[in-house]
Amino acid sequence: MLTLSCGFIVLVAVVLVVFIVAGYNSLVTLRNRYKNAYSQIDVQLKRRYDLIPNLVETAKGYLAHERGTLEAVIAARNAAVTANTRAAQNPGDSSAMKEISSAETALSGVMGRLFALAESYPDLKANTTMLSLMEELTSTENKVSFARQAYNDSVMAYNTRREVFPTNLIAGPFNFGPAELFVIDKPEQKDAPKVSF
Amino acid sequence: MDFFERQDKARRHTAFLVFYFVVAIVLMIGSIYLVVATLTGAFESRDTSDETTTSVSQPEVFLVTAFGTLGIIGAGSFFKTLSLARGGRAVAELLDGRLVNPNSTDAHERKLLNVVEEMAIASGVPVPQVYVMDGEPGINAFAAGHSASDAAISVTRGAMTMLTRDELQGVIAHEFSHLLNGDMKLNLRLMGLIFGILCLTVIGRILVRARGKNAWPAILVGLALIIVGWVGVLFGRLIQAAVSRQREFLADASAVQFTRNPSGLAGALKKIGGISEGSQLRSHRAEEASHFFFANGLKSGFFGFATHPPLIERIRALDPSFDGKYPSVVLPDTPVEVAPPPLPSVSPLVPPPQPPLMPTATPPPLPVLPPPLPAAAVSIAQQAIVEDIGRPRPEHLQYAVDLHQAASASIKTAARDPLGAHALVCAFLLAEDPSLREKQLQELGRTTSDAVRDETRRMWPQVQQIPDQGRIPLVDVALPALRRLSPQQFEQFRLSVNTLMSSDNQSNLFDFMMQKIVMRHLDTRFYPERRPVTQFYDLRPLARDAGIVLSATAYAGTEDVTKAKAAFVKGAELLSRIAREEIPWLPPTECELAHLDAALDRFAQSVPQIKKNVLSACAGTVAFDNAIQPREAEILRAVADSLDCPIPPFLQS
Repeated sequence: MLTLSCGFIVLVAVVLVVFIVAGYNSLVTLRNRYKNAYSQIDVQLKRRYDLIPNLVETAKGYLAHERGTLEAVIAARNAAVTANTRAAQNPGDSSAMKEISSAETALSGVMGRLFALAESYPDLKANTTMLSLMEELTSTENKVSFARQAYNDSVMAYNTRREVFPTNLIAGPFNFGPAELFVIDKPEQKDAPKVSF
Repeated sequence: MDFFERQDKARRHTAFLVFYFVVAIVLMIGSIYLVVATLTGAFESRDTSDETTTSVSQPEVFLVTAFGTLGIIGAGSFFKTLSLARGGRAVAELLDGRLVNPNSTDAHERKLLNVVEEMAIASGVPVPQVYVMDGEPGINAFAAGHSASDAAISVTRGAMTMLTRDELQGVIAHEFSHLLNGDMKLNLRLMGLIFGILCLTVIGRILVRARGKNAWPAILVGLALIIVGWVGVLFGRLIQAAVSRQREFLADASAVQFTRNPSGLAGALKKIGGISEGSQLRSHRAEEASHFFFANGLKSGFFGFATHPPLIERIRALDPSFDGKYPSVVLPDTPVEVAPPPLPSVSPLVPPPQPPLMPTATPPPLPVLPPPLPAAAVSIAQQAIVEDIGRPRPEHLQYAVDLHQAASASIKTAARDPLGAHALVCAFLLAEDPSLREKQLQELGRTTSDAVRDETRRMWPQVQQIPDQGRIPLVDVALPALRRLSPQQFEQFRLSVNTLMSSDNQSNLFDFMMQKIVMRHLDTRFYPERRPVTQFYDLRPLARDAGIVLSATAYAGTEDVTKAKAAFVKGAELLSRIAREEIPWLPPTECELAHLDAALDRFAQSVPQIKKNVLSACAGTVAFDNAIQPREAEILRAVADSLDCPIPPFLQS
């Protein structure tokens, strides 16, 4: 009898240990995955932040009367750089992610305005440097959105695992907090500023 | 000893390993039984004062302890093996590795990534995932995985920052030899089994903490489990060490063969001796994985338990004049490898003066591949092809370095980015015909997203200029980025590749093999359970499959059917003798891409010797006219890749 009860205790202990270890490991893996996914965004965002000053510098000569827009672009870019530095240090953190989301939304907005402005300056549009910079920026933006999709997918996977039974029993005691998505609100077409001729 | 013999040997080692473990487990069950039986015997005899129960033979107790122990070890090993099914990254992440971004611009990381990429191109395997253990100041590294497609290479921060490029190359070459020698699979199995035994001590520790009136038997059993478990772990470590030590010497030797630069590897080993941290690891999980590492990762080095030969012996094997005095380590200057600016217009944060750097408006004419294979054929002895498998030479490494440096920066940056890599593979599969291509692009936009479509369109002109022999290396470089797709994105990727393949009616063998390489290596990432298991030990049941592969290869080489037949015969003769059975010559309708796909999948499940025979026969078919066209050579490499037999790039003879 005694050996049987001992065996039973051992069996329960095994099941418990396996269950806890498996749940914990899966959470760690998923957390690493979304953190790694953010580093992919980070690389592309930094490239984008490097390109923008070049673009502004090129456009300056042609858009002498649009100083306001150019300054807004630079200001939005600088704000986004700060926000990204913070988010890269702690991807998934709620306030950092909200900050970068809003900074990126603002930057996309002013960049859209700049692109719209450029449309009405044929000389600027014909400038090859400007053309290739815009091309490069569009491509980088595509890469950002692609990387963002991957990040959001992995955040979703992590959050789901965190909330479902039985891993939710482990998430609390081991301090696995929820992760925040990275959303950029697309500036709507109708909001694009009217270009005055 | 060639690649296939080494693979066979690794497989035999696994059998030994299992045998030793069975012995260890039987001994452990025996000792646990003794402890439990003595305990219960003493207990019951005191309770009932009955003389008969004190005898040692208690079948009931024996059954319970035997099944209990087996159950625990089995469950633990099973669980660990399951969690290691994800391949090398499971081990890398367990040891707190950080995945290095393939597009990193950090000078140290760039150096590491470039060395790994060059090494992978030279050996003809996909570029593994690269991890850095930031919390480890010592010098150490490891490679882990089941096969080349899920391999991960992980280095400590110390190794990344303190070693020069040559030394790092030596270390990475050592790790690649493990990868190519088939050691990694063995190592993973070992890790799973050892963990099972380790479980006993963990449960023992829990039982020891049991509280309550009648808890003391549980505590005693717990203590016994700890002691017995510890004995088991020692056993495991002994086996771990025995298997590992001899393979370390082999890997050192292969690494030198590979780089022809003993001073690099020796320099790295000397630096380990020269710094206070040595090669020791801080992570407490290093124990289960100690046999993976480049150098001893644990403190305990007593004889019999050290997983690696003594440092000084390893150095002397490389540098006989070594006097035993380790140099004091000086940090090399940081910008060992200047990171190539990923973009033509990377500017400082302050806006640069006018005019800004000229970004590429139109992609520059690709200065591709300095040692290009001449359009005319290369003659390669078929024997040499098979001998080279899994055994790259310094010339291959040099070729890879040149290729790596010559590839245009924009293509390389694209290949290291998930979206860029996605677009690159799609662009490879686009049709030549403009109207068909436009249709394909529209289709691509529908199945995936506009971003993918635009990037593919953008890359097409550049991709078109990449010669045949540059394509597989580029795909190998793109794989780490593709592994970073999210599962949803991977489904879209698979869909888009399938769509492109089916929409191009003239899709040829080369395109097909390219997408097969990509999908095969990615499937192990996204569906770890689909790993092939060895099922064929004899060539005879595969005669028809051999016919399909050889016929398809023959048709790809020439338009002329009689010539193709002759080429086929040349390869098939070789195989028929071994198979003692006729290899059928098939009409084109019976060796289409779908048939070929199935045939290759079956060969992938056969023992190394069969793979070797089939590849020799393929090489014979391809080399029928004593001339191998670049495209033929790449098809052959792709076929070999699908059988997990990496052929290094073909060199101009």
